Amino acid sequence: MTQPIIELKHVDKHYGDLHVLKDVNLAVDKGEVVVVIGPSGSGKSTLCRTINRLETIDSGEILIDGEPLPEEGKELAAMRAELGMVFQSFNLFAHMSILDNVTLGPIDVLGVPKAEAEKRAMDLLGRVGVAEQAHKVPAQLSGGQQQRVAIARSLAMHPKAMLFDEPTSALDPEMINEVLDVMVDLASQGMTMIVVTHEMNFARRVANRVVFMADGAIVEEGTPDEFFDHPKSARARDFLDSIKGH
Amino acid sequence: MSAHATMSMRDALYEAPGPKTRAKIRIGTAITSVLVAALLGLVIYQFWKTGQLNPRYWSFFTWGSTWRYLMAGLRGTMTVALTAGAIALALGMFLMLGRTSGIRWLAAVCRIITDFFRGVPSLLLIYFFFLVVPQYGIKMSSFWMITLPVALAASGVLAEVLRAGVNAVPRGQTEAALALGMRPFRVMIKIVLPQAIRYVIPSLISQLVVVVKDTTVAYVVSYPDMLQNARVLITNYDALVSTYFVVAIIYILLNYAINQLSIYVSHKTGARVVDRLSTNPS
Repeated sequence: MTQPIIELKHVDKHYGDLHVLKDVNLAVDKGEVVVVIGPSGSGKSTLCRTINRLETIDSGEILIDGEPLPEEGKELAAMRAELGMVFQSFNLFAHMSILDNVTLGPIDVLGVPKAEAEKRAMDLLGRVGVAEQAHKVPAQLSGGQQQRVAIARSLAMHPKAMLFDEPTSALDPEMINEVLDVMVDLASQGMTMIVVTHEMNFARRVANRVVFMADGAIVEEGTPDEFFDHPKSARARDFLDSIKGH
Repeated sequence: MSAHATMSMRDALYEAPGPKTRAKIRIGTAITSVLVAALLGLVIYQFWKTGQLNPRYWSFFTWGSTWRYLMAGLRGTMTVALTAGAIALALGMFLMLGRTSGIRWLAAVCRIITDFFRGVPSLLLIYFFFLVVPQYGIKMSSFWMITLPVALAASGVLAEVLRAGVNAVPRGQTEAALALGMRPFRVMIKIVLPQAIRYVIPSLISQLVVVVKDTTVAYVVSYPDMLQNARVLITNYDALVSTYFVVAIIYILLNYAINQLSIYVSHKTGARVVDRLSTNPS
């Protein structure tokens, strides 16, 4: 294997007195799906957000394709353009149509001609099953549809990896699967993904590797089978026990 | 539509009145009506007693020339108010962009300018342009001597109104745009501002009322706005109370119209905002 696409080395971060990331080391290879799970407040979202510098870090190193993550300016923007990000609260641009949401990045950041961007956007919207909604505004769509549009918006940038920050946590139960299906699809096509989630079935089915975080540190990692069936740490066993039987 | 919206706002703030409350409201309404009628009667009685109802004070309002002169003044008032409003909006936008730019020295400068214009009475600014600026050999027409200070005074407030709008746009909108690889200034122009302006359009329009009222000090620089022309009428016809009475009503109607406009606009854009907040949690 060559060098990892995303690599975190000894990453530390504090919010005041709170130590939210403790010496985090993580390497994600091309085509790998890494699912990050753990109790709330364990730092998993923060970890996800440091990778495109929506959160800064205090010390340590983040490498994208072997290059250190730039700290500001054009270079940072260019690096962000190569990493897709899907948020818990969708964050579709509320004042724009669905189609404009998906074409904004390609047109504005990559300089793709409008017609070409719209053609690709319609392809992507078709792929996530919301092509008929292209001319509506986000508020007219269900949560599940909005999140699928958000995924299409990221894909329109041809990202080399995708970050998912609890993509189904704000959804009504009946809409969770339509979003997970799109993500399963994406994983099967070889997309490199880091997914922060509470969906254990998704983790078991799709992940190449499960990373378990607690109190800001990575406590253990392994294949889904290892982790779910034979957790090594007491902390992970407690966590899995607490969510079992639902 | 608007009646329905007002009802739901009241329903949101107060619970529906029960029988005892309704009785209290009826008594309160009756007492208030009597008091208002008595006050009105007193005013008319005083007018009559002091001879203000004498046709001499009112008859010139039936002449076309009086109204042409007042309307010329109203046009002056509107020209100053709209020009000052436009300048204030542009300047307020710059001050707000500077203050939210994240560039520390620029933010500090813009903050000081904003707070200065917000804090200084507009009359003081007018005296500055009227008395101080000409001493440095800068010649200005009376139009600019009233328009510029009014605009500067309003720009500070508008900068703050716009900033409130920008702060009201959910953080996630900015984060999503940054994650696409857009630069911060671009995010402000393409994503944040269009939404922020929608939030604050009603406040921006309401601020025009303040600008209209500020223009009334135009008499200081002898610019022929409506109040200045009213003063000329008063001198000519020796009719102070009646003229101010009529002019006050015109100002009230003008500002009422502006307020109605802002209510209309807020209803048009408000529905969308509410929709969005309820379906886009953050």
